[in-house]
Amino acid sequence: MEAVARRKAAAYVCLSCTRQFQRHIRRQYHNAAPRPDIYDVVCVGGGPAGLSLLTALRANPVTSHLRVALVEAQDLSKVKSWKLPPSKYSNRCSSLTPTSAFYLDQIGAWEHLDQTRVQPYHEMQVWDGVTDARIEFDWAPGSALVEGTTIAYMNENLNLTSGLLKRLEQLGGVSVFEGAKVENITFGEETEDLDLRQWPVVHISGGKQLTARLLVGADGANSPVRAFAGIDAKGWDYNRHGVVATLEMEGEGWGGEHTKIAYQRFLPTGPVAMLPMPGKYSTLVWSTTPENASILKSLSPKDFVAMVNAAFRLSPVDLAFMHTQGANQDYEYSWRLQHTSFNPRAIPQTVVGVQEGTIASFPLKMRHADTYIGERVALVGDAAHTIHPLAGQGLNQGQGDVQSLAKTIEHAVTHGQDIGSIMSLESYVSERYTANHVLLGVVDKLHKLYSAESGPLVPLRSLGLNAVNALGPLKSFFMKQAAGSGTKLF
Amino acid sequence: MLPPSPLRQLAPTIARRVRNPRTIARLASTPQCFAPVTESPSVRTQRWHSNHNDSRPPSSSSVNPDEISHFNALAATWWDPHGSSRALHLMNPLRHDFIQTCRSSSPTSSFTVLTEDSGDELPSSSPDAPTYSTTANVQKLRYLDIGCGGGIFAESAARLPTTESVLAIDPSPGVLAIARSHAKKDPSLSPKLTYLSSTIESLPTLKPEAVEKKFDVVSCFEVIEHVDHPALFLDHVAKFVKPGGWLVMSTIARTWTSWFTTNFMAEDVLGIVPKGTHDWNKYINEYELRGYFEETEEKRRFWGQPRAMGVVYVPGLGWKEVPGSEKVGNYFLGVQRLASEDA
Repeated sequence: MEAVARRKAAAYVCLSCTRQFQRHIRRQYHNAAPRPDIYDVVCVGGGPAGLSLLTALRANPVTSHLRVALVEAQDLSKVKSWKLPPSKYSNRCSSLTPTSAFYLDQIGAWEHLDQTRVQPYHEMQVWDGVTDARIEFDWAPGSALVEGTTIAYMNENLNLTSGLLKRLEQLGGVSVFEGAKVENITFGEETEDLDLRQWPVVHISGGKQLTARLLVGADGANSPVRAFAGIDAKGWDYNRHGVVATLEMEGEGWGGEHTKIAYQRFLPTGPVAMLPMPGKYSTLVWSTTPENASILKSLSPKDFVAMVNAAFRLSPVDLAFMHTQGANQDYEYSWRLQHTSFNPRAIPQTVVGVQEGTIASFPLKMRHADTYIGERVALVGDAAHTIHPLAGQGLNQGQGDVQSLAKTIEHAVTHGQDIGSIMSLESYVSERYTANHVLLGVVDKLHKLYSAESGPLVPLRSLGLNAVNALGPLKSFFMKQAAGSGTKLF
Repeated sequence: MLPPSPLRQLAPTIARRVRNPRTIARLASTPQCFAPVTESPSVRTQRWHSNHNDSRPPSSSSVNPDEISHFNALAATWWDPHGSSRALHLMNPLRHDFIQTCRSSSPTSSFTVLTEDSGDELPSSSPDAPTYSTTANVQKLRYLDIGCGGGIFAESAARLPTTESVLAIDPSPGVLAIARSHAKKDPSLSPKLTYLSSTIESLPTLKPEAVEKKFDVVSCFEVIEHVDHPALFLDHVAKFVKPGGWLVMSTIARTWTSWFTTNFMAEDVLGIVPKGTHDWNKYINEYELRGYFEETEEKRRFWGQPRAMGVVYVPGLGWKEVPGSEKVGNYFLGVQRLASEDA
């Protein structure tokens, strides 16, 4: 038994740690106390942020000797073997900036994504639903400011997590505890020659206990790790829900297969966005009131499609009225459409269908943790911040966190610092907190600005949008910020 | 189980502290002060205590008792990331960067590796010889950290995968108690890190031929400015450096700028360094310290060309390397031992 344990330990740990273990085993043999199972990094949460962090640590030769564990409530083998036919798309998609994609490529994960399901887009059309002021984000041909043609990549979250899992499997060396719930997090104990009273101990279902030099909370908006660390998250609920669905369009888009366009219209109830997926498919993110969301979810597919088409074409007044009808939006839409003028090439093509079972909604909120670190604790992704989806930045912020934390850990390892100490983790917070805070604030203000139906803000915001549209360099600057390729402003 | 570290054999030594008059034999003011250091320490310094069963040559301590009590008082906040030693914590990564720069500047830094690989340099009589037989140990470094304080550098050196062992010594018992109790908080340290309440003078002198017991890196960070007789101190330290190994130091130049920043601003005005930590009169300029290693032909044969790196503390950003600032304020100095014979 001891020999087995030793061999197991040797598979993961450097020589000195192995010796340490052996010593533990020997001592524990006499004391008959349970031997703490010590990991350098215990990551709670196997979403995009957690998996990217572990991949980054395993892929880097400087940090690959660290003993790492993943605790995830879901069955990850299902995620890894996730597969859908080319005619079906998951309703949970994210926009990945070129910066995020580049990082995923650096850690060797990008090639494990199913590339036939990743859709780059090259233009953005954003307009005000009340005034129709418009800004067109496209890369002016020949412009000196053009750095790439792709603004971002639309991708199903499952394609990303599945790809990351495949990459992790290739790298090996992660102790994976899947289908394991975190039941409790406590502190370690003090023995004669070891003082683990500041080390988090993660108790998972089945009775196993993992002692962590650094406990990473990648465990989402209601992060148990954050609660354990006593870190508060402040913010507010928008009283809005994001309605998502996978839509089938009449064609591949006005730009064809090679120039895909993302659309977003600001309605008083919230922005509605249509983002291109491969082929004739698009994904919808419509933020609206919880009441409207439940109405939309209750509609027949035919009426739901009519409402989505209406959301990009009809006036906010018409749209509000259509929400009061129990059914027959389809008929109402075709009637009202005849009396509405618009440029069909400036809005998405007509939606012809919605994929069964893809209409869902989730509440929108803004949260920001007071800090991302504690003694032997670091938070990444949604555990640290939750953002309004209107700018498509949530997942990218998480990737930015991961890149920074992995760099921080690498620096700590090369300089002999304890990777769990506040001193080592400080640079992670200082690098990410302000950046995230500014983005959270900008997106929050945008949401509020466009929620106004009338009043002094409405003409002003149109003026702003039109002005930005007229000023090429400024627009280019915004696009680069959106694509994450611009000068690091934040 | 690790074989008993050769360092541990030093453990029973009890620190002997000698109350030296603070004023004599200051190296600081002129480089010429380095000249007489070839004399036996006992000639130049008064001995107040001696170890009763000591058969070794008499030795003194470079350490001032006032300094010891000052650092004892600081012990409690040593590891508080926002406490009195924050500036030291922030400086620590630069120490490793500097050592890295020094070691990579000279191919002979790997001296020990080459000889141990060939296997013919090890005295066959050495009881420790078998411990070097595993290839895993061959390239790892032995550190001696003099004036380790709460162990900020010693712990970090022990954590490096390239480290075989760290012997960390300090004469302040209160500070060392903090260091020991803090080291308990990291299970990876105990196999590599040994603390010893000792001055360098009271460490048993290693026989010149006991090369493998000497150290690849001997560090004294922020120490020389607290030492009463820096030249004697360095003479002593030299014996512990392995041929091909490096002696790395950091201290503060004695300039108006350093008085203003480290004494006036840091201690009196901003309070980021505890009052009484620095005695400006004991600061040593870079040319003075460099002078010690370059002064005589003998020294130049013994030591390589010293390397310096000036660093500046920028509030809110931490320490930054600023070329040329070694003449002004905080700086690192590293020097490689060339000679295989002890001076």
